[in-house]
Amino acid sequence: MYEAMVLLDNDVVREGYEAAKSTLVDTLQKYEATVHACRRWDERRLSYPIRRKNRATYFISYFEMPGDKIPSFRRELEFNENVLRYLLLAVDGLPEGEVDQAKAEEGADFSVPPPPEDDAIEMDEEAGETSDLDTDDDDMILDDKED
Amino acid sequence: MAPRKVRAVIGSKHCDDPKIDYKKIDYLEKFLTPQGQILSRRRSGFCTQCQRQLKQAIKRARHVGLLPFVA
Repeated sequence: MYEAMVLLDNDVVREGYEAAKSTLVDTLQKYEATVHACRRWDERRLSYPIRRKNRATYFISYFEMPGDKIPSFRRELEFNENVLRYLLLAVDGLPEGEVDQAKAEEGADFSVPPPPEDDAIEMDEEAGETSDLDTDDDDMILDDKED
Repeated sequence: MAPRKVRAVIGSKHCDDPKIDYKKIDYLEKFLTPQGQILSRRRSGFCTQCQRQLKQAIKRARHVGLLPFVA
């Protein structure tokens, strides 16, 4: 049993969540994998930029695959431009609740919010910092004039 | 002779904790310095085996961008 954590580009997820997910599932099935669970784990800000992206959507999947197919599967993920990074681990078994969470995604009432802009937070922070600096500079100039 | 400084040990019986996992970021963050370095066994309070699991989990989390290499 293998566990794969795959970071997908948010631009691909924005175009269509199901299409993005199917790229991963199709790749797994191409290499004769039996997929037990595949779901969106999270969408979060990366601790450091990967391929100049600051945010990514994390997918987690549990599957069984013939051992001799693993190197080809790894190569496929590395060549895929939509996959920012992946982590492939051999695990003892399927964690509890994983299948239920994966099935919940298949429900009709499941919807994924569109991922936020890649640099949305950074822009705000920068704007805040620059505005503060501007006001400080103005004060300094005024002080100089007074002197 | 000045008394020896005793640094606080962050927890001491972690071996009873649930399995260390690279996805439990909030838990792993407790064992990082503000600069993002892994705490020594002396400070983390882990046994040898658990410290190795912690190291592995933190390195995996760093690889997938969940934790920083340098904060």
